[in-house]
Order: sequence, then structure tokens, then C-alpha cells
Amino acid sequence: MDDDPKLVMRCLAGENSAWEVLLKAHTRKIFNLCYRFTGRPTEAEDLTQEIFIKIFQTLQSFDEAQGTFATWLNRVARNHLVDHYRRTRRDRVTSSLDDEPGTMQETPSPAAGPGAEVESRERRELLQQGLEKLSPDLREAVILRDLSDLDYDEIAQVLGVPQGTVKSRINRGRLELARVLKRMEVMKGPAKAGGAT
Amino acid sequence: MTHLELENLASEYLEGRLDVVARVEVEAHLKECGPCRELIGDVRHAMELCQSAEELEPAPWLISKILLATIGEKKPSFGERVAAFFRPQPRMRLAYGIAMTVFSISIISNAAGLNLRHLTFEDLKPSTWIRRADSTGHMMLARAEKFYYDLRVVYEIESRLRQFRQGAGQGNGREQRETPKTDSPGGGTTDRKPPEMPVLATVQDVIDASADINGNLFSPAGARRSSLR
Repeated sequence: MDDDPKLVMRCLAGENSAWEVLLKAHTRKIFNLCYRFTGRPTEAEDLTQEIFIKIFQTLQSFDEAQGTFATWLNRVARNHLVDHYRRTRRDRVTSSLDDEPGTMQETPSPAAGPGAEVESRERRELLQQGLEKLSPDLREAVILRDLSDLDYDEIAQVLGVPQGTVKSRINRGRLELARVLKRMEVMKGPAKAGGAT
Repeated sequence: MTHLELENLASEYLEGRLDVVARVEVEAHLKECGPCRELIGDVRHAMELCQSAEELEPAPWLISKILLATIGEKKPSFGERVAAFFRPQPRMRLAYGIAMTVFSISIISNAAGLNLRHLTFEDLKPSTWIRRADSTGHMMLARAEKFYYDLRVVYEIESRLRQFRQGAGQGNGREQRETPKTDSPGGGTTDRKPPEMPVLATVQDVIDASADINGNLFSPAGARRSSLR
């Protein structure tokens, strides 16, 4: 990550291998951001590709003095995701869930057995459904803080808002997510109990 | 502290970012307020759920797809091209070419009398190569000629010996034909004489024959005769 500015310089000098290194270093993070935002793997892949194409085309506008490459990348990704959200708002109302979240593969933990895998999938689905219930502003704040692990300052740079707003959005997002998750768990509880009998 | 104030400080309290005074106030409120305790528990649970979520793996072809969309078909770098050239592959033509080159170099260096382990400045002069190659060529020719004459000598000795054996065999046969047989025609006895062994040439015969052959081959007349053949 410390070498990112040098890699960008080499990319701008026409060195394709440097672009490949950059891409390999950041694809996973951006894909996860897109997936957490959309909840659909194929859509997340398409968005990841679009974001990196945009990055490649605007690479000369990266300014190291204004922040790290990762922050700039996250800002471009976030803006693209917001644009995408606005663009597809109408379609989403009538869209069906054609992508099963369970088709994605998590990084397997070394000692994960079948039981742990099922539990992990259930938690992932629960979290994804909870995130989808949040408004985009709150969702992106929570994703950037708790899933992408950025600090408040970086989130403020990515979102282009003051740090106070970031804190407020993260807090409201967490409170909202906690309520949503509780509702969902309460709803799931009787269903599970009914299924068991 | 009100419920709303506590809600606003929930994240900072859970992240441990509050100063001592605010933290004491929050904890005091939580001791007395069950719904707020429950809320803080729920938020902690949500945060833990997010933080425990593992990263997802994108499809393996995603990077290739993006590379294709950005820089197009990936061109191999110089290092990759060199590595690809030396990568072991079944290239029979190349292997044959290398083998023939090595073979040719070894033949030329042998003919030129070069010792590749101890090269001297003199060895690098083409005139030295030519001189040595000429010398080696003459030496090989002489050896071949000698080998040829040696073969001839051996052949001559063998043919003479064969003639001697045949001559000796014919003499014995003639003697046998002339002397009447003493054995009874019906046989009946078991103490028959063993058959006579063929008479071999004596050592003196061989020495005489080889001296004769050498005289023929290496005398000027013999040499002329052999060169005419």
C-alpha cells in the first residue's frame, strides 16, 4: 500500500505490470464494498469492473497530497455506487432476487467445519439483509467503518463530509442496523421454533 | 443524561472514545435504565456481527476481465518473454539445432586441436586453427593408411595359414588313400584309434610367411603393386 503512489507513476508511464499489481492489491476490497452495498454478487462484479475502468481512465487525476490511493479509490467507488443506486432505484423496486447471497464464497477459516460454515452463512445473510434495510447514507457509513475498517478521517475524505457528520451517520446507522437485526431475529425466532417442532 | 443523549453517544461509548466524565455519566444511566442497556447490547451485537464478517472472494476471472477491459490483451514483458523462451517445452527442432551446434563446435575444436578448458591467445588465431587442422588431418590420414596396411598384413597371414592348413590336409589325405586300412570292415572292437588331428603350420612356417608378406608389401615393388591395385 505504501508503494501505491509509485505504482501509479509507473502506470502513468505506460507500465502495464504496475497496473496489474495495483489491481490485484485492491480488487478484493472494492468488490466487498460493492457487494455489501448491493447484496448481489454479479452486480458487485460489474460495478467493480466499472470502478476500475474509471480509475484507469482518471489515474492522472490522483493527487498524493490529497490522500492515499486507497482513500481516492474508495471515494471513486463510493461515488460510483451512489450514482448506480440512483440510476437503478426504479428498477430495484420491481427487481427479483436473482442472485442468491449464499452463492458467494467467503475466505475459509482453517478450522471451519460444516456447522461453522452454515452459521457463518446465516450471519452473512442476516447482516446483508439488515444493511439493505438502511438508507444509502447510513449504509455506506457503516460499511466503510465496520466492514472496510476505515477510520473517521478517511471516511470523511471518501464521503466528502465533515467528521462530525461521519460520526453522526455511523452512530445512526449502527442504531438502525441494531433495531433491524433485532426485528429480523425476533421474526426468525418463532419460525425456527416452529420448524423444530 | 436523557435516553436521546445516550443514543447519540452509543457508538463513541462502545468504541471507547468518550472522555472519563461522559463515560461515567453513560454508565450511571445504563445502571438505572433497562431499555438503554438493551439498546447498547443490540448495537454492540450489530457491530460485532459486522466486524466478524469475513471478506468475500471475488470470482477468479474478475481481475483478468478488468485487465482486458483496461489495458487490453496483456503483452508479455521482456523478462516474461525470456522466461518463456527458456521454459522447458518439447521443441524438437530447437533441441536438434543445439545438439548439432555443440557437435559441430566440438568437431571443429578437436580438429583445430583446441583445449577449451585451457585456451591461450595463440588458440584464438585462425592461422593456428588451419595449421592444426592440417596437421590433424594428415595425422588421421596416416593413421587410416597404417590401419589399412595392418589389415592387409593380417589378411595375408590368415590366407597363407589357410593355404598351409589346406596343403597339409591334402598331403595327409593322399597318404591315407595310399595306405590300406587295417581295421576290420565289420568293426566289432571298441579300441579304435581316435581320428587324427589336422596338421597345423609350425611356428617357423608362420615366421617365414610373415617375412615374405612384409617383404612383398613394404618393398618398393610390393608397394607399387599394392598402389596399382
